[in-house]
Amino acid sequence: MATFINSKSIFGLLVLPCLLLYSSIANNSSSVEATMHTNNWAVLVCTSRFWFNYRHMANTLSLYRTVKRLGIPDERIILMLADDMACNTRNKYPAQVFNNENHRLNLYGDNVEVDYRGYEVTVENFLRVLTGRHETSVPRSKRLLSDEGSHILLYMTGHGGDEFLKFQDSEELQSHDLADAVKQMKEKLRFKELLIMVDTCQAATLFNQLQSPGVLAIGSSMKGENSYSHHLDSDVGVSVVDRFTYYTLAFFERLNIYDNASLSSLFSSYNPSMLMSTAYYRQDLYQRRLEEVPVTNFFGSVMETIHTDATYKALSKKDSGRFEAQMPLDQSVHHDERRTLINVNDQDEIHNTKAEGQQGASKCPFTTFYDKLQKGENVDSLVNYGLVAMLPFLVVSSWLFQ
Amino acid sequence: MAETKETSEKDEKPKPRVRPIVRLGIFLISHSFLVSVVCCTAGVLALFLLPVLAKNTYISENALMPGSASPMLSTQHVSDGNKLVKDLTSLDLKSSETGIESQRVIAQYMLELGAEVSFHKFHAQLNQFHPLHFFSSPDSGIIQENFSCSSYGINTVGIIRAPRGDGKEAIVLVTPYNTLKSDLGEAVSVGIAYSVFSLLTQVTWLSKDVIWLVADSRYGEYAAVAAWLRDYQIPKFSSLSTPNSEMCPDINNLYELKINSIAGSKFSNSFRRAGTMAAALVLKVSDQSEQYEDTISIYAEASNGQMPNLDLINVVNYLAVHRQGLRVKVEKLWSLLNSSWLKSLGEVFESLGKVAKSLNPEWKFGIPATEYVEGTATLASSLYYQALGVPTGPHGAFRDYQVDAITLEISPKYSLDKFRRIDILLRGGRLIEGVIRSVNNLLEKFHQSFFLYLLTSPSKFVSVGVYMIAFALLIAPLPMVAASLYVDANSLDSKTNKSTPSTIADTGEGGITIRSWRWLNSAKLVFAVHVWGAIVSLLPYFICQIPDSSPTIRFMIWVVLSLISLLTLYSVLASPFSCNNTSQEKEWALVKSVTISYVFIGLGLMSVINFATAEIGALLMVPMCLLARPLKFDLRAGSLRSFSRMVCNLVLGLIAFPPAAFFLLKGMLEGFGSVNIGDFWMWVESLWAWNSATYIFIGMVYLPCWVLCVHILLHTC
Repeated sequence: MATFINSKSIFGLLVLPCLLLYSSIANNSSSVEATMHTNNWAVLVCTSRFWFNYRHMANTLSLYRTVKRLGIPDERIILMLADDMACNTRNKYPAQVFNNENHRLNLYGDNVEVDYRGYEVTVENFLRVLTGRHETSVPRSKRLLSDEGSHILLYMTGHGGDEFLKFQDSEELQSHDLADAVKQMKEKLRFKELLIMVDTCQAATLFNQLQSPGVLAIGSSMKGENSYSHHLDSDVGVSVVDRFTYYTLAFFERLNIYDNASLSSLFSSYNPSMLMSTAYYRQDLYQRRLEEVPVTNFFGSVMETIHTDATYKALSKKDSGRFEAQMPLDQSVHHDERRTLINVNDQDEIHNTKAEGQQGASKCPFTTFYDKLQKGENVDSLVNYGLVAMLPFLVVSSWLFQ
Repeated sequence: MAETKETSEKDEKPKPRVRPIVRLGIFLISHSFLVSVVCCTAGVLALFLLPVLAKNTYISENALMPGSASPMLSTQHVSDGNKLVKDLTSLDLKSSETGIESQRVIAQYMLELGAEVSFHKFHAQLNQFHPLHFFSSPDSGIIQENFSCSSYGINTVGIIRAPRGDGKEAIVLVTPYNTLKSDLGEAVSVGIAYSVFSLLTQVTWLSKDVIWLVADSRYGEYAAVAAWLRDYQIPKFSSLSTPNSEMCPDINNLYELKINSIAGSKFSNSFRRAGTMAAALVLKVSDQSEQYEDTISIYAEASNGQMPNLDLINVVNYLAVHRQGLRVKVEKLWSLLNSSWLKSLGEVFESLGKVAKSLNPEWKFGIPATEYVEGTATLASSLYYQALGVPTGPHGAFRDYQVDAITLEISPKYSLDKFRRIDILLRGGRLIEGVIRSVNNLLEKFHQSFFLYLLTSPSKFVSVGVYMIAFALLIAPLPMVAASLYVDANSLDSKTNKSTPSTIADTGEGGITIRSWRWLNSAKLVFAVHVWGAIVSLLPYFICQIPDSSPTIRFMIWVVLSLISLLTLYSVLASPFSCNNTSQEKEWALVKSVTISYVFIGLGLMSVINFATAEIGALLMVPMCLLARPLKFDLRAGSLRSFSRMVCNLVLGLIAFPPAAFFLLKGMLEGFGSVNIGDFWMWVESLWAWNSATYIFIGMVYLPCWVLCVHILLHTC
């Protein structure tokens, strides 16, 4: 995926001289929309208590494991678990949580950082996390410190109904509350794009009130439908995973951090007959086309790498205005005919040939190096370059110390 | 504006508009005969419709999740259990004079599993009539004066602590075991409990402690369990002066024996407790072989018609049927199964259901006739046992402490020989394990499902919302008829008053008020009869004190004393023959009116305490009250209608007399050959021994009502 984005930017580089003049104006006019995707956050919430809701905790922990595997670090994951199944006295396997009856994978291993647990998982705390209105004493690890360039994955599971989600068997989060929180987040520039994934009964109803742009929502079931558990672990004696989450995980199990699967392929992977409900996604608030958005944009921490040539410009003759120029360019990519190019399956190859063809014209040593680096084909040369690059430093520093 | 308009209208019309509800009431009262006929018919019909309206049971509590875990009870546990059965039976063969040996063996087995073991000594409390103990909580304060070392029993109690639990809740498993004379069935039930117990000592998923009580049933299963529960729930702080069982040499022997044999174990002399009880299962294995297949009978009725939460029955039923392949039975009135009228009624309902279905395929209330008959037989037995108010097993003791409990009785298809025994041990054990695991999942007390219900089959029930309709329809006409009688009596009086010149002087304001208060006369009579009812209910307490008398003699004494007191009260308070005044011609109507009100209140109160009693009482009392009319009038009229009414009155008056009703019912169910006059005394004795509210109902509501009806029938004016 990364190569794809970078090839885009390379293309942008080529057109750069032409746009250079225009860039400063465009940048001012569309600064918000054009924010770069800078980081990824995940808020994973299990809202239900009690032993018989084991599967909800297993759902959340499975997703936690997946997003971690795909590259979101622990400090950018807010994990909220309403109950502790691992230490429940009824658990036949103390301190372990499984999401499959084969018990191959213990989800509750050593490096699980639960940020909100037990009775801390309340509607109030949830909304505080989203909107960032915390008491001063709340540690940073419990805060969603996202910014205007963040892609946030919000995953929620529990028992829901028509336009509500039950928290802790005592309170409810209504669709209005969620929409309001998301709106506040938007106002406070806390996200660039937000994917809300909900696995509850009548999950789709929870999205009814959303109106903030940049929000994509997917729910496990339509109004009037139930979401069912996938299977029962007769050893532990409870259902261990929900269908929607199970098939989501099944989708991600095939992926690694470098994979290029798009959100639309994830969404179309849900088979209503397997889910026993209809997965519903709402994309009218979301600008990008789902075919273009890799799942790792939300479930992983893969983003466009901004390569500022500044460091290398010491060698080359390009100026430092490049970085600003990139942004309007990115946006232009969204709208114009280059999309056709992207949609082609073997885009990389085409693009590479094109790029190479024009690369000679630009004669930028960095781009060739970068290209190589991205392809990862020549790690040795990378190391060599690095060593060579260190030599001048050595010389300079030794000269300075004399 | 509106107010002024209203007032102006009022000024125009001197007669204010009557509110619709009042008009409806007046309309109903004026047509009370029709209303009462319709309502009573509908009430009886609704009662017979209940099996058709029964719903399938379902697990209401999410947390239970019965059968979601596969059973862990292995053949190893079963063979351990079987070993205990063998040891116990061989002990029996060796013959034990005290019965201490078997308790020692059981305790030994428990200790080897690592459970906490203690013995609980109790005295057999004789069932005695304590007039003040109705509805009161069972107390521990009664320490019998005539204590002797001969009347004690020893329960063996083993407790497994949940390894990671908080120890605040417990599940109780009870196996009655007669240490003096045990049969194979009891030994097998202990074996099943042991195999489950041995599994539960190993598992990691316990969140509630498990208590296994081997109840010494030599003085009855109920007494042993009740005694243990009393000591469990109500700590006893006995003073040194009161004699207690520690002084008895036998028990001291037992302790020495224990301490010597197993040193350093978890045996304890003191009473051991675990947390509050979430549920209790009483397990029995019957020795008689069942005809068709392995069955399990569920007994649920506790005192005063209280039932355990329906979820507990559902869990057992679900696990037995769907996991262990056992047939589940609940009690039936077998004699009803062969009744042809019921069968034809069932056929009528079936065909009605078919017609309804052909009209609209969504109406599905027809059930097959055979199912209807079975449902009715089960419903009748459910009603009967609830109405009796006597617990149907040791589980009743738990219900007194609001613990949900049922008795399970496993009846194997073949006799309990060696191979069959293993199978029963395995299946019974897995069933118990499943139920315990399910209850173990529980987070709160049983509260989701129904407490007020009647079963029509192990998997079908009628909830309170449905069965109340039948009762409500039955008693609905009572207040209307009472009102209409009262109005009639007053209006007739005023008519007669106008015609006779002698009473014209009374027609002033004062006269009318006096006349409208004349019902107080009747109320006095009703009150007197009510007081008499109370006296009659208290009499057995004194009759019990008479030593060495047979039930028949006691019954006779009771009847004679009751008659004497009735006559005395009559002569003192309200003589039925003192109607010398012509204005009291309609006296009987007022008496009937007050009687009906009294019955209405009594039935209404009773329906809250024990619905089934009230329902059965209403079936008898409502027609009797509504039909009652002085025989003299009917004789005088001489028409066919009045004659038939007279016959009805006589028959009802005869049937409704409590002893007559009892003997008739008993004769119908068991044959008239075995009827003995003393039986009624025994029956009544059992009612008060179990603190059944039915006894009070019969004494204070039913019997006075019957006497008042007879009073009306024999009215001479």
